[in-house]
Amino acid sequence: MAFLGYDENNRNHRFMRSVAITAISLVVFLILWWVVTVIMNDKNFPTPDKVFEALWSLLLYGDPIGGHSLWEYIAVSLKTFINGFGLALVVAVPLGLILGYVKPLREFTAPWIEVVRPIAPIAWAPIFVLSFGSQLGPALVVFIGIFFPLLTNIIFGVQRIDKNWLDASKTLGATQGQLFYKIVLPATVPYILNGIKVGLGVGWMCIVAAEIYNKFGGIGQYLVDMVNGGLMANAFSAIIIIAVLGLMTTGVAEYVSKVVSRRMGMDA
Amino acid sequence: MSKEELVIEGQKYDSKDRIRADRTDMLYKDIPEGSPLVKIRDLNVTYRTDEKTTVAVDNISFDINKGELISIVGPSGCGKSTILRCISGLLQPTSGTIMIGDRLCTTAGSDRGMVFQDFALFPWRSVRKNVEFGLEIAGVPKEERRERSDRYLKSMGLLDFADSRVHELSGGMKQRVGIARAMIMHPAVILMDEPFGALDAQTRNILQESLVNVLKNSHRTIVFVTHSVDEALYLSDRVLVLSKRPASIHQIIEVPGDRPRDRGAPEYAKMRKEILDYLETQNTM
Repeated sequence: MAFLGYDENNRNHRFMRSVAITAISLVVFLILWWVVTVIMNDKNFPTPDKVFEALWSLLLYGDPIGGHSLWEYIAVSLKTFINGFGLALVVAVPLGLILGYVKPLREFTAPWIEVVRPIAPIAWAPIFVLSFGSQLGPALVVFIGIFFPLLTNIIFGVQRIDKNWLDASKTLGATQGQLFYKIVLPATVPYILNGIKVGLGVGWMCIVAAEIYNKFGGIGQYLVDMVNGGLMANAFSAIIIIAVLGLMTTGVAEYVSKVVSRRMGMDA
Repeated sequence: MSKEELVIEGQKYDSKDRIRADRTDMLYKDIPEGSPLVKIRDLNVTYRTDEKTTVAVDNISFDINKGELISIVGPSGCGKSTILRCISGLLQPTSGTIMIGDRLCTTAGSDRGMVFQDFALFPWRSVRKNVEFGLEIAGVPKEERRERSDRYLKSMGLLDFADSRVHELSGGMKQRVGIARAMIMHPAVILMDEPFGALDAQTRNILQESLVNVLKNSHRTIVFVTHSVDEALYLSDRVLVLSKRPASIHQIIEVPGDRPRDRGAPEYAKMRKEILDYLETQNTM
């Protein structure tokens, strides 16, 4: 069953295959979008050509209300995102390692985590912006989004550590501190990276919520402004920008996670 | 104490030196070869669950002599590995004591090295870094670590794989790394928990011979848990035969002859039959 001479064992063929499937999938998606919006004939749901026209104009002339360029919006969003991500990393990694390693502490904090975790980041947005201002507030919303998937991945990773590694280290004279630093930390790296991958995706989901209350700045605020102004094609162009940013960051995270895990000899 | 100077692995030691974590055998240098080094007394391991109590090890006492290789054989599930884990300190016995020299062992430490059936190597470390792990955490300087790991990698035939990752190695190679990692620390006693149990028969024989070779150049005290009577007779100075669970000592057999031994010699065939006949009576299946 060689379709167009396709060879499963050829690396280039496999690559071309996945590219082709993705490309066809995107084209079909655009067609479906077109068909659905034409049938609906609702000005709130613009056809793809209108959306790409708006995107193009945003790229060339800036936004239709204030005239700010696309890059200004992206810069603000990226800054918010990076701050939230950085904060999540700094807090979740040590906390996850400790909670994973020290069972009583994990049991003690489990109720707190289980109470706070299901609260949607968008619920925190007004509270954080009001309490911490328009700089830190949005970053904290992103932080909340990234923090929990990252934390739970790390705790899971620590618990999955092969007990034999710990036993072997003890018979080689490792102290508690050395067990943590030489075994628990490296053995958890693949799980930290996986948590980052998942967290980044959730982080982008939070960006609109985080920026709703911004006066200027961010793709999220742009989206809200455009919806309020009835410029739906422009609003949809913001969604596309967020999607692309999300794809790029999670793509990089996935690649790094795969390469590092393989290099560490720990790919599942 | 005499002021004699010892040179081991290029390092000078005299009696005033603090004994390092990577040279715990030096703590017992005054115990002569063949005298009891490790004393296991009234070892008892009992597991309690809500429904019942199970006695796994029933008041076992024996000595491990310095410089000997003593095997522990017994029917499957009789508690061989449990005894070994108690000696290592990884498992707390319900009662009983384990002494090395005149020191009481309570927790795990580098004086009791261990070789695991499933190797327990660190996949994120290279072969060399696995072998050097104990030295690294003992704070041995890098140059000395390298020099010493070179020697052990060489004696185990691993020098060409020093920079390889563990997952690139075959099972036999992995266990060579495991043995080198334990030996490089010069523990007072090395505990091997069915070290060749996960290997195919041919690899198993090769590794047995490697172990014999290494022991010719470097005298070690080894406790070797195995379910293979052949392996026990090929390697050991003494074989400790256990009963079915709860484990008690059936007999301790002295195995004559210097290593390497002739696997097919009639005297071993006779001992082998004796032990196997006993184990068959203990088979619970």
